[in-house]
Amino acid sequence: MPGVIVRALTKRYGDVAAVEDLSLEVKPGELVAFLGPSGCGKTTTLRLVAGFLKPEAGEIWVGDRCLSSPATVVPPERRRMAMIFQSYALWPHMTVAQNVGYGLRFKRELSRADRERRVREMLRVVQLDGYDARYPGELSGGQQQRVAVARALVVEPEILLLDEPLSNLDANLREEMRFEIRRLHEEFAITTLYVTHDQAEAMVISDRIAVLQNGRVAQVGTADELFNQPRTRFVAEFIGKTNVVDGVAVAADTVACGAVRLRVVAGGLTPGARVALSIRPHQIEVEPPGGGAVGGGVNALRGTVRRASFLGDSVDYQIEVAESDLVLRVAASSAWRLRPGDAVGLRIDPAACVPLAE
Amino acid sequence: MSEYRGAPREAAPVTLSARLSGIDRALPVWIGAGLVLLVLMVLPLGWLVSISVGGEGGVTLAHYRRVFGDPAMQRALGNTLVLAFWVGLASVAVGAPLAWLTVRTDVPGRGLIRALVMASFVTPPFLGAFAWVMLAGPNAGVLNVLWRRLTGAEEALANIFSMSGLVFVVTMYTFPYVYILIANTLALIASDLEEAASILGGGRLMVALTITLPLVAPAIVSGFILSVLQALALFGSPAILALPAGFHVITTQIWSLFHFPPKVEMAAAFSIPLLLATALLLLVQKKLLGRRGYAAVGGKGGQRRRIALGLWRYPAFLGCLAVMACAIFLPYGVLAKAAVSRAWAQPLTWDNVTLANFSFTFFEYSATQAAIVNTLELGVMTACAGTGLVALLSYIAHRRLVVGHQVVAFLALSPIVVPGVVLAVALFIAYTRPPLVLYGTLWILFIAYLTKEIPVGYAQSDATFRAIPPELEDAGRILGAGRLRILRDVTAPLARSGLIAAWCFIFIGVIRELSASIILFTPNTRVMSVVIFDLKEEGQFGAIAVLGLVMLVLTFATVVLVQAALGRDVLGTRE
Repeated sequence: MPGVIVRALTKRYGDVAAVEDLSLEVKPGELVAFLGPSGCGKTTTLRLVAGFLKPEAGEIWVGDRCLSSPATVVPPERRRMAMIFQSYALWPHMTVAQNVGYGLRFKRELSRADRERRVREMLRVVQLDGYDARYPGELSGGQQQRVAVARALVVEPEILLLDEPLSNLDANLREEMRFEIRRLHEEFAITTLYVTHDQAEAMVISDRIAVLQNGRVAQVGTADELFNQPRTRFVAEFIGKTNVVDGVAVAADTVACGAVRLRVVAGGLTPGARVALSIRPHQIEVEPPGGGAVGGGVNALRGTVRRASFLGDSVDYQIEVAESDLVLRVAASSAWRLRPGDAVGLRIDPAACVPLAE
Repeated sequence: MSEYRGAPREAAPVTLSARLSGIDRALPVWIGAGLVLLVLMVLPLGWLVSISVGGEGGVTLAHYRRVFGDPAMQRALGNTLVLAFWVGLASVAVGAPLAWLTVRTDVPGRGLIRALVMASFVTPPFLGAFAWVMLAGPNAGVLNVLWRRLTGAEEALANIFSMSGLVFVVTMYTFPYVYILIANTLALIASDLEEAASILGGGRLMVALTITLPLVAPAIVSGFILSVLQALALFGSPAILALPAGFHVITTQIWSLFHFPPKVEMAAAFSIPLLLATALLLLVQKKLLGRRGYAAVGGKGGQRRRIALGLWRYPAFLGCLAVMACAIFLPYGVLAKAAVSRAWAQPLTWDNVTLANFSFTFFEYSATQAAIVNTLELGVMTACAGTGLVALLSYIAHRRLVVGHQVVAFLALSPIVVPGVVLAVALFIAYTRPPLVLYGTLWILFIAYLTKEIPVGYAQSDATFRAIPPELEDAGRILGAGRLRILRDVTAPLARSGLIAAWCFIFIGVIRELSASIILFTPNTRVMSVVIFDLKEEGQFGAIAVLGLVMLVLTFATVVLVQAALGRDVLGTRE
């Protein structure tokens, strides 16, 4: 089971670089999601890996084979990969069994009976037994999706590529299929690249996430790392909700923002430098009505509630911090309520203040 | 975006398929396309221009001066403008209301009306002209005879051999162009656009004038331009109706310049303005349609509600039927009658019924059999070669297979600016001289037809490939199928019905072609339309009717095939 190594990959359309100097290593058996807004180059990267596009610079290696470089591109049909498309790309003129069995036609070592057996088995795995004689047009969206999955898995590819495979499903089905795809990945353990613009999807499905921005990797890591230790403003804002606070370092571990001083855990800030901090709304402690719980101490602030929105399991507050022009989003318990205009005490754990590199 | 072009420099173990997929595809494709273009367009039009300005002492405008200084030619030019303008106007006047009635109102018999418009669309105009000679010829015309008998009048009701008669007949077979454009536009305008105006206080008339009309306006103008172009390029109807009336239009004038001794230089010089006018009008049309995105028109989802006409339904229906009577019922009826009559002008009694016209046409008249064979042969050859060519071109354009693929569509559609007669003059000049002497063979007709029909075929084929998402091919590639294998397993089966339709469109276009054939045929290479035209000179109306019916049967059989292949009729979107 090989992994994928992408080295300094660049793909240009005219003067526009869709992918620029992108490097990434996917370990054998790992599922890595490419996450980013539209136009960030994630689909282009996937198509480069698939061999549909030729890079202007860089290399793509699978195991010990160099599949893509500016000099040569091994065509898609000889890459031992499989791909699941956003539109599923099922062939409307072939039955479910013909669709699923198509890739096996190119495995000479398999007899016809073997091929049919493997198609049947795979249809059972994706819970479509009995549907083999149907045409794709006769299936629901979720069933079509399963056919696409079966067609990709039945050939036992070295690498599996998925291009936003869930974006055409309705919300409930999408959630169900996330777990299904994760389950299949754990069962088959195929090295997988997964493109999505949905951060929740990426977090559920993948081992690691590569956040892409403007054709480059902004940060790679587990969902936990990306959420709690975002390295850039882009990553912090793209993964979950956050407050980005702009300020100036006044000490190795302190940032000034107006009259407010915020302590951070990681030292090493250069005094005088501009610094942005990411502070997650749920990591800000709020003093309930009646007060007392937050008290003073490190990173204790005073503020006034501007707006309160009840969201069911939490309440989303906008709180104007005293002696600064800061407005913080805070997610607090819905067990009690503050009203607009209420004065309130806040406290932020220094560990929750994450300095960002711009 | 050209994926893996350029041969791999470090050749890994190279299999044959790898070698095939690795070759630089752009070069052979462009060399091939260049050669085809050279033979079909560049060489002929190049010669056309060069002959028109060629003199003994180099470049000269002498031919132009001779042509445009000649009062007869000036009159022909004037007549053409009059004809084209009135045909354009009349086609809009007929086509627009018909389209509105069938698409937006509850007029009865909408399916029937639509079917009849389609029949008029595929009817060869020169057959219609022949039929109207028999219907409204001043002396023996059936309608005029009837009129005299009913009223006792001395005068004829109508004389088809006149400018107004010509405009009338040409309009009957040109208005479908307007109908198609407007019907397809109306079918895309959601009622909520109109309702949004109503809710703001617009009355019915106000809404029609301020919302609906502006939305359809581009379609109306472009229908007008298309009709004008049809009338400009038409040869058959003017030759049948204008010549007996004693006047010429440009196309018939060009044709007469080919009478012995042929004055090729003058024909060439006279062709250039027609070519330029066509190109100019098409440019105007493109500009009109290209401005302002009529994006609202393309929206889907919005419901379309029909306007209830109330009691007006029946007069409206009768109006539609009246148009159809002139375009279809009367002409087809008189052709059918003439085919089985000894004397077409006499009432259809048992004494007058005969099959002699059939035996004369098929067995006694020497030219018919060969002409039918030639027509079918050319029809099939052109349709096959044309479909292959347009399929290749549109595939290349859609899959962006080669550098410069953007130019492909432009080149494939470019012959549309060349009217049939002009194309014929150009081909005549180019291929009566070395290196390619094709005049006198079927090949020159083949080239003419191929050139004329490529735009039609390309449009159809383009729509076909547009409907096949590239992912369907990618999905097969990544599973292990090579490009050629995917063409066979995925692309070809999905494109089949669309390409069958393209084949049929080309075939229909070829079997009815007259304006280029009439200049390019030789005694051994006559086709059906030319024989029909010759039979007119001999006054053999029975035989004309028989051959005309054969042509119509062939056409309608092909139309049925298109409908089966596409699952819709040939007019376009069915709302």
